[in-house]
Amino acid sequence: MLEGILEILIKTVVILGIPLGALPIIIHVERRGAGFIQRRLGPNRVGPFGLLQPLADVAKFMFKEEVHPSHVRPFFYTAAPVIALTVALLPLACIPLAAPFDVFGTTYFPEVFRSDMGIFFAFAVSALGSYGILLAGWASNSKFTMLGALRACAQMVSYELSLSTAIVAMIFVFGTNDIHQIAAAQTGYWFGFLPKWGVFMQPLAAMLFLVGIFAESNRLPFDLAEGESEIVAGYHLEYSSMKFAIFFMAEYVHMIALSALFIIFFFGGYSVLPGLDLISTDSSPFVLPVLQAVSFITKIAVMIWIFVWVRWTLPRFRYDQLMDLGWRRLLPLGIVNLIATVLFVYFRNQ
Amino acid sequence: MEFLSFIIFLIIATALGLVLMFISNFLGKKVKITRKNDIYESGVNPVGSATRQYDIKFYLTAILFLLFDVEIVFLLPWALNYHNAANTGFMVAGFVFFMVVLLVGYIFVINSKALKWEE
Repeated sequence: MLEGILEILIKTVVILGIPLGALPIIIHVERRGAGFIQRRLGPNRVGPFGLLQPLADVAKFMFKEEVHPSHVRPFFYTAAPVIALTVALLPLACIPLAAPFDVFGTTYFPEVFRSDMGIFFAFAVSALGSYGILLAGWASNSKFTMLGALRACAQMVSYELSLSTAIVAMIFVFGTNDIHQIAAAQTGYWFGFLPKWGVFMQPLAAMLFLVGIFAESNRLPFDLAEGESEIVAGYHLEYSSMKFAIFFMAEYVHMIALSALFIIFFFGGYSVLPGLDLISTDSSPFVLPVLQAVSFITKIAVMIWIFVWVRWTLPRFRYDQLMDLGWRRLLPLGIVNLIATVLFVYFRNQ
Repeated sequence: MEFLSFIIFLIIATALGLVLMFISNFLGKKVKITRKNDIYESGVNPVGSATRQYDIKFYLTAILFLLFDVEIVFLLPWALNYHNAANTGFMVAGFVFFMVVLLVGYIFVINSKALKWEE
């Protein structure tokens, strides 16, 4: 019992520590990437290559004055950032970094929360992200925040529909909801060189899912929640110091979690990257899990870079274009893709 | 044991947020200026309250999301059970009927202009 709790604690600290430890690096990559794309320098003064800039920013946020506005609903105003961060962290609980592995006769499961409904749990809690935003906007009791929250929520739920149709199509193709079996099904090659990734089976679903995760995490070109020219900063307008920073932490953690889910379905999850699988895994039971974790983290890093790249390349939508795209283009596309997949699988098996 | 692990994860994640949030409560400097605590309104006095009427489209979007998302959630167990079913033809016929009903509802929603934002 005590051993079990210790194991859970270690896994929890590792699973929470990796994304939170990577946050300063991601923020740095984002700012330097912006500089790179816009042909300017970006932060380069604090530490070597400006690497300590994110830490300086965190320290500054901590020592800032915390403004307590007089017009807010205090309980929900305080609860909203915590809800946003907790809900963003929760999907990570059931995302495994590697396959279950045997050490001295004991099988270890690398995810914290092992459940046969893990993937549905991850999507359910990541969809709760809109609660943090809606509570923040409503509790701040200001017109800008209320409008920002309403817009963010309407956008998130609209794109969740096309995202869900993509999930149904992938669950149907794999015939399982177990993350380990999905990853196992994507290990290996077609014709000897093309990895058996879901993106090659369901390119349209991959596209819908990718657009969906951009909209879900409120990143450009879908950052209508904080359109500066219309509603200033949107739902976190009345927040200051660390409370303000927590919303950004939640956004980045949400990006990591959604990228991980995207990779599980479409880029083989923790299946070892082409090239790395040439390494022999017989010498020690730890080699394969390490290779799998390295592959998974590399894939997530590439996804994060794509987030940054898109952010500094594409301009923002107009709101009616956004809703039009979500409801009148992507949702029918997702439904048609689902019907076509089902009919294809049915007639192929006849 | 599985749910214990989830509860431990939930407690640690929540505690992390709470600690981070109250850290600037202790470390930050404290200034008491009452004007500073007013509503942000670009420097002018706010007019009216924040809980005024907003566009009905937000409400329609939420209601329609509920309807469509419930229908898509119904498809998840269907997609899982399809490969174990004895009579897949019957499963596919049911699916096609379900999708036709869904599409009729969707076409009605589009034609009623409930989701038309540009005006």
